[in-house]
Amino acid sequence: MKKIFVLFLAILMIVSSLAGCGQSGTSNPSDTSTASGSTKALDGQKPELKYLGYNVSFDPNTDPLAAVYQEKTGYKVNYNVLPAENADEKLLMEVASGADYDVVQVGVSQFQTLLSQGALMPLTDLLNQYGQDVLKGVTPDSWKACSGSDGKIYGIPYKYPYPTEVVTFMVARMDLMKAAGINEIPTTIDEFYNTLVTLKKFYGDKYIIFTGPFRAASEASVNWDIPQNITSAFGIYNDWMVDENGKVYYMTEHENFPKMIEFMQKLSNEGLIDRDWAVNNTTTVNEKLSAGKAIIAASNRVGVAVTTPIMTGKDGLGLKNEDIGYIGALAGSDGSCKYMKTEAINQVTCILKSSKNAEHAVNWINIKQQNQLYLNIGVEGTHFTYDTDGSIKPINPIFAEERGNSYWYLNSTDEAEFAKQWPSRVRKSDAMWAAFDAVTNKTNKENPGIFVDNTFAFMPSLENYSKYNQSLFKSTSDFILQLIGGTKKIDSLKTFQSDWANGGGEKIRTEMKTWYDEFYGK
Amino acid sequence: MFMKKNETGIPLEASEKVMIVISYIIMSILALCAILPILHVLSKSFSSASAVTSGSVLFWPVDIQFETMKYVLRETTFLHALKNTLIVTFFGTIISMVVTITTAYPLSKPSFKGRKVFIMLYIISMVFFGGIVPAYMVVRTLGIMDTFAALILPFFIVHFNMFIVKNYFEGLPESIEESAKIDGASDIRILVSIVCPMSTPVLATVAMLYAVNYWNNYFHAVMYTNSTAMQTLQLFTYNTISNTQTIVERLVAGNYANVSIDGIIAAVVVLSLIPIVALYPLVQRYMVQGITIGSVKG
Repeated sequence: MKKIFVLFLAILMIVSSLAGCGQSGTSNPSDTSTASGSTKALDGQKPELKYLGYNVSFDPNTDPLAAVYQEKTGYKVNYNVLPAENADEKLLMEVASGADYDVVQVGVSQFQTLLSQGALMPLTDLLNQYGQDVLKGVTPDSWKACSGSDGKIYGIPYKYPYPTEVVTFMVARMDLMKAAGINEIPTTIDEFYNTLVTLKKFYGDKYIIFTGPFRAASEASVNWDIPQNITSAFGIYNDWMVDENGKVYYMTEHENFPKMIEFMQKLSNEGLIDRDWAVNNTTTVNEKLSAGKAIIAASNRVGVAVTTPIMTGKDGLGLKNEDIGYIGALAGSDGSCKYMKTEAINQVTCILKSSKNAEHAVNWINIKQQNQLYLNIGVEGTHFTYDTDGSIKPINPIFAEERGNSYWYLNSTDEAEFAKQWPSRVRKSDAMWAAFDAVTNKTNKENPGIFVDNTFAFMPSLENYSKYNQSLFKSTSDFILQLIGGTKKIDSLKTFQSDWANGGGEKIRTEMKTWYDEFYGK
Repeated sequence: MFMKKNETGIPLEASEKVMIVISYIIMSILALCAILPILHVLSKSFSSASAVTSGSVLFWPVDIQFETMKYVLRETTFLHALKNTLIVTFFGTIISMVVTITTAYPLSKPSFKGRKVFIMLYIISMVFFGGIVPAYMVVRTLGIMDTFAALILPFFIVHFNMFIVKNYFEGLPESIEESAKIDGASDIRILVSIVCPMSTPVLATVAMLYAVNYWNNYFHAVMYTNSTAMQTLQLFTYNTISNTQTIVERLVAGNYANVSIDGIIAAVVVLSLIPIVALYPLVQRYMVQGITIGSVKG
């Protein structure tokens, strides 16, 4: 039913686009060619811009930042948001019926859909005229990912600002570990196993030794049933990977996949992991950690923001900050470790063909980028200070109050500069920063070689990938849980592999390989 | 506690008593199934962040605090969303009732020329819905996107409700209206001063059905509104539940040490329940009546 609905919308959009193309005398602002190398000023009165963005829990029109942006850019903007549910359908419907938005910020797959329907205005000339800062700030790979087959730019990318972040890690109760004679944080998979065994011997069944995975409740989320800082020890860093010969392969085809399963089975059989491993989610893992039931728990930045204040609070476990340790990406027995860079494009800003203020929209985005530090981080001495090492330290609570929601207003960034500025946003919470510093900063200083490029970071939404990948990932997750739980043996991997291939796996592989060869010019 | 005699005064047999006991047990379990989740959510909304996050709240608040409620009322757009929903429900119900009554009344009169054609048109549009996209296009073309009108107009007549009212009007004695006519009353006067007062039960029921429809309406708010200023309570609740990460980041950055994300979700659910819980005892009678009217005459 949903497919028919989407198909209907697609047809409607094509018809609308064709109707739009047929109108004579319609000037397309981007058609005006220019060779200008510097941003052109726009004269006259600045119009009110109409903006559509992704769903948020606050009102972007009444947030104090709206006024800050208006004052700095001179543009009044009417912000609108897509719903949290059915956002794709709503977006298509809006565009199909000739929505009058000037700027639309969408996800990568939504951008691809709009692009394939011919609903977007080419931005190359507009950027040349009014968006020189935007052009310079974004890397060529990011531009490539937002360009059409005609080579023109159709979207302005917002790339995840900090690629070398260890996103998933484990929180460890150091007070309990020290009492059991463990004074060091494990860094290899063998040390980690020995730590668990020692804890089990010392505490028996008094505590859950290791709880996880940190699985979001939402069905749409991609949840790894084995934390990625454990899979890193086995060289598995993504569901799809590429070997040195350019062969695209799935995680279950990795040579270390059986070894990884064997390791997890060992933990399960020896009672070292939570019995509820198969059904845990973020809430239950947080509960077990903050209630003092678990010694080690899988977590992430948002997870520690929830649990640490409770663990250190006097109403909670009353721990000291040094009683909480963080286990980062583990290395394998041979010392190798692979952790994928978070180098994806999160959002794409585009301008619909129906926009009446395309030049002003690009100009507005450009002014925002010119004032990136002020708009996102604030004023030195008021919102932040510089540390001795040059890093930015926010001044709370004013930073949180006046710049806390700036991420929603971002369209493009000077990617290199923003990568330096962004960690300050993690520092708005002591709990988040403690984990980030202990895991990500430490890894970047001591072991930056573990980070592996995300080969498919700039891949658009491919047909078969969109169609099959989520369900294949789900069935792989179920299979992994069955293997860990012992209801299936690793011998069944071949059967699984064949079902996986027939269930769309091979189709995705072919499609991804074609894209890979094309994008990287192989 | 249980009945010792049946309605005819004859003492109950042992099997009947057993059945009554079983019925009570089943009904109690079902009642608990309905009440316990509400109690759990209520307890969470008044418990401390540490108690909620560590999972120690069950059916009674632990370390009672009101910060979560304060956060929802002061820091979120809950009150604004509530105001929007109240406006839509209040004005929507009034408009719907006026349209329903003025449509049902002529259609209930056999003397109304073309009555059958109109009834057939209503039945056709009741059975065959034009579809979401055309409905959306109509709203967009009318230029009422993101306004209260978009949340009321597409919904302002529910054919089923109109037929309930029409059937009820048809059952009223014709002689009363005739006598009013002889006394010189106009059609509008007859409708307002005679027919409507005589139809209070059905009108109250239908008004309540409309009000519940407007109150619970989520889909139209999703489709026809974009700005947070037009967000209704149902949309606000869904968005709060879906945007946990954003809320966590706001909590840790602000001074809300005793507020947890699960507590906020619980508080939003509790607060959005209050108006309905407060109104339900008053409209319960009509709710039951509505079901009966629908089953007999629908």
